[in-house]
Amino acid sequence: MNIVLRLAWRNLWRHSKRTWLTIGAMVFSNVLLVFMISIQFGMYGLMIDNTLQVFTGHMQIQAPGYKDDQKMRQTVPDIVPLASKLREAFQTDTIAARGWAFGLASSEERSYGIGIFGVEPTFEPHVSSIPGLIKDGRYLRDNDATEIVLGAVLARNLRVTTGDELTLLGSGRDGSFAAAVLVVVGIFESGVADIDRNFAEMPLQSFQDIFYMDGAGHQVVISATTLDEAELLRPGIVAALPLDSDLVVHDWDTLLPGLKQAIQADMGSAFFMYGILVILVAFSVLNTQLMSVLERTHEFGIVMSLGLKPGRLGRLVMLETAMMGLIGFVLGAIAGALFTSWFTVNGLSIPGMEEMAANFNLPARVYPQVTPWTMVAGPLVVFLFTLLAALYPALRLHRLHPVEAMRAN
Amino acid sequence: MRLLPVLVRLAWRYLWRNHRRTIIMLSAISVGVWAMIFMTALTRGMVDQMIKDGVSVLPGHVQVHHPLFLDDPSVSNRITIGDAELARAFDTAGFKAWASRVKVPAVIASERESRGVTLLGIDPAAEREFSFVSYDDVEGRFLEGADDNGIVIGRELASKLETEVGKRVVLMSQDPENEIADRGFRVVGLFKANMPAFEESYVFIGKQAAQKMLRIGDTTTEIVFLADDYRNIEPTFKQVSARVDSSLEVSRWYEVDTYLGTMLKVMDGFVLIWVIVIFLALSFGLVNTLVMAVFERVREIGLMLALGMKPASILGQIIIESMLLLAVGLAIGDLLAWATIQPLQGGIDISAVAEGMEMMGASSVLYPKLYLSDMIRANVVVLILGFLASLSPAWRASRYEPVEAITKVG
Amino acid sequence: MTAVRCVDLCKTYRQGDQDIKALDHVSIEIQQGGFVCLSAPSGGGKTTLLNAIGGLDIPDSGEVWIADQRIDEMSKGELADLRLASIGFVFQAYNLIPVLTAQENVEFVMQVQGIPAASRREKSLAILEEVGLKGLESRRPAEMSGGQQQRVAVARAIVSRPALVLADEPTANLDSKTSDELMALFTELNEHHNTTFVIATHDQRVMGYAKRLVRMLDGRIVDDIEQHAA
Repeated sequence: MNIVLRLAWRNLWRHSKRTWLTIGAMVFSNVLLVFMISIQFGMYGLMIDNTLQVFTGHMQIQAPGYKDDQKMRQTVPDIVPLASKLREAFQTDTIAARGWAFGLASSEERSYGIGIFGVEPTFEPHVSSIPGLIKDGRYLRDNDATEIVLGAVLARNLRVTTGDELTLLGSGRDGSFAAAVLVVVGIFESGVADIDRNFAEMPLQSFQDIFYMDGAGHQVVISATTLDEAELLRPGIVAALPLDSDLVVHDWDTLLPGLKQAIQADMGSAFFMYGILVILVAFSVLNTQLMSVLERTHEFGIVMSLGLKPGRLGRLVMLETAMMGLIGFVLGAIAGALFTSWFTVNGLSIPGMEEMAANFNLPARVYPQVTPWTMVAGPLVVFLFTLLAALYPALRLHRLHPVEAMRAN
Repeated sequence: MRLLPVLVRLAWRYLWRNHRRTIIMLSAISVGVWAMIFMTALTRGMVDQMIKDGVSVLPGHVQVHHPLFLDDPSVSNRITIGDAELARAFDTAGFKAWASRVKVPAVIASERESRGVTLLGIDPAAEREFSFVSYDDVEGRFLEGADDNGIVIGRELASKLETEVGKRVVLMSQDPENEIADRGFRVVGLFKANMPAFEESYVFIGKQAAQKMLRIGDTTTEIVFLADDYRNIEPTFKQVSARVDSSLEVSRWYEVDTYLGTMLKVMDGFVLIWVIVIFLALSFGLVNTLVMAVFERVREIGLMLALGMKPASILGQIIIESMLLLAVGLAIGDLLAWATIQPLQGGIDISAVAEGMEMMGASSVLYPKLYLSDMIRANVVVLILGFLASLSPAWRASRYEPVEAITKVG
Repeated sequence: MTAVRCVDLCKTYRQGDQDIKALDHVSIEIQQGGFVCLSAPSGGGKTTLLNAIGGLDIPDSGEVWIADQRIDEMSKGELADLRLASIGFVFQAYNLIPVLTAQENVEFVMQVQGIPAASRREKSLAILEEVGLKGLESRRPAEMSGGQQQRVAVARAIVSRPALVLADEPTANLDSKTSDELMALFTELNEHHNTTFVIATHDQRVMGYAKRLVRMLDGRIVDDIEQHAA
């Protein structure tokens, strides 16, 4: 080992207890950071994926203004040919057309207001998780059948099962009275009460007939495998829209601003907490290194009188700090990864979290994933702030005068 | 105990002997304590607001329903006791406020659009105290009585329905026989609410109008009671339970809205965990400081022992020093928290993430809420944990043999 | 009356891989009002003997008696009480508590003893004047010379009029004039208050003041002579 390195290393262990306590602070914070960051970003991914795959998809083509007002007459004309043209152009099945309306659904015993989607039975399963969540009966089959699938809570409240009939009342595109009798063919259960209580789906063509849509719909949903891929698809989609139309393409974060903002709000508070932890570690390091420099004033005086420049002593102090920081980094990242991995296997559930989790389409038990990034991001920041904290004690050495220093102690 | 003044004086002076270290440690404690309290106040403010908003929509801290109503909110599951009888039972019972109301899901249609809403048939006079709508802040007017024939809807809903004050809308729901019950109403007012979602999902009509439309005589679906504070509802709950028929279900607000109830509990837990985590992060520095402080004055400790001071007094001295350090840090941190929260009492605008907050059930203005009890709790936790953390260095300091300590070459 | 009686004391230290016999069957008896100098080269055992007498160090074997109490079998708490009540200490260095003023240092022992504030104040001011530090009462050790500090230590050792004062190299850091003044002070206290002094030193000048000179070597008493003060 290089003599300077060896010197720094030995200096570090002069007060081994103090050094370990300082490293302890780093390790403590690092473990927490690795753990929390792993959970946090894993949850964000899940939240986005789970939420988008219910109804929203990664992108939607809509009439201008529809996103905010959702009025019946803000339509995408000739929506089925448009969707099919796009599917062909992009060689994919993950594009589907939809209509959407409010109506009063009445069974023998009950009436409830519901939101109803008109969907393409063939393609809807490629853009939404709902068709896969049928727990009773089957999903929609024919585009012009007068059938309906509904959420489990809704079915229970309406007291209907598969095979029963429902009367649907609402207003059509032009405001006129719309009514139909539909047969319940399937019941889906997503586990999210809001969805299971309020939504139903029916074939798009029947939807268009009942609500006087005249071939129009309200949204073309486009799904991709990842967020990044969706990003790449976008320009092509925009280019493929009919030239004379004023249709717009919305990304998921404009469609569900709440989701992104909930993530941002959560990140904001999380980063505040991380920041505080990092600052507290920095104080610990500052304290230790300042003490370590002050108690060596006499010694530094001697070596300076031998001709060593303060800058080199400063670098020595920084080197000591870096060594200490490195130990904290390595131990913290490893301990953090191990700690988190335990939950990766066993899952983490906070008592009473279910309701909160369901609100964000999250499972009640989370399994944090340690990635190289979540493992080093936090510890790296702690390491940088460790070095930053040692700057003051290191630079202080420039103010040292050899003679005065030697007189100290 | 007799020695307390000496020990405190020694501890205090030793604290300032190495003033740099003490100042750094004080800064760390102050920042930590500030963060504890500031974060707690923000969280509290958010949850308080959420609950206030949530409870205001429910509304009522204690509610009475038909046992099946919460799962199946239909007029079939209504409370079959008439209004006159309810008034006899509750009017003189000394409740802060109570009201019976018709609350059922319905569809509202303008000439252009229809939407699903929750219909509230109310007696405006009875609900003035706890409605989420301020009656005075209404475009047009609010309902004037239980027999009012108009409808008041949210501004957001009005814009979606493309309707306005003076225009007609149709409400559709069902009667107890599951016949479609519908009726036209003239919009008399547009209300504002803290959260856009409320403006979209609730409509108000007069209670009697609702009863007539739904053909339910003078019965209602929900009776609501207000307690003094949403945190202290047990007395009201007991009082109500004693007075209603056992065939009805009496619920606390957090049983009706489990999300809010959970939120409150989870946040309480979160606040405590946060305080402890910060303390632990601080504790390394604290123990470090004490270890160094003892190390620096091993000889002096030896001297005091040699002069006849008992080891227990040495232990006490170090612990007092630690407590003083923490107390000063706490005082600064508390003050800092107070000083930063005070100017924010008017609310922090976080409308940049408004829709995200709404997803969590919170509004877009955050009102930090500094509770004395939270502050005291943070302080007590720090002092108790600080005491525990100081025990080891203090114990070691008191175990020195005077001779070894004095002759120790440092 | 016997002030101090040591019987057959043995004490062995380990230093590196060597056993050092600091006390090797030492017996000594000191009468009340004695003024004894223990002299020995470094490592001769004088500090160990002094510490054993003061109850700061427990011998491996043998007995230590202070007046009529056997102290080598006492608990730490009892020893602390004994030191507080009847023994004054002056150490070679690091004598004072650096964060307390001269007066507070003097009052320290009295405070631990539980003497009321007014009485403490009166006694401490009087004793500081007696040792020639009038006007320096509120200085902290770092603001005083070595001699002044040592005089504060002496003031503290004698302020509650202990029967026995133990001093370890009290003049080690003092110039000759200050040493003389300190010894004159000891002599005066010895004569006027009949205080017993046991002083470990290798300062010839100090030995000159002693009534009895005990020489040690390798943990044994090699010479024990009564002499008349110069």
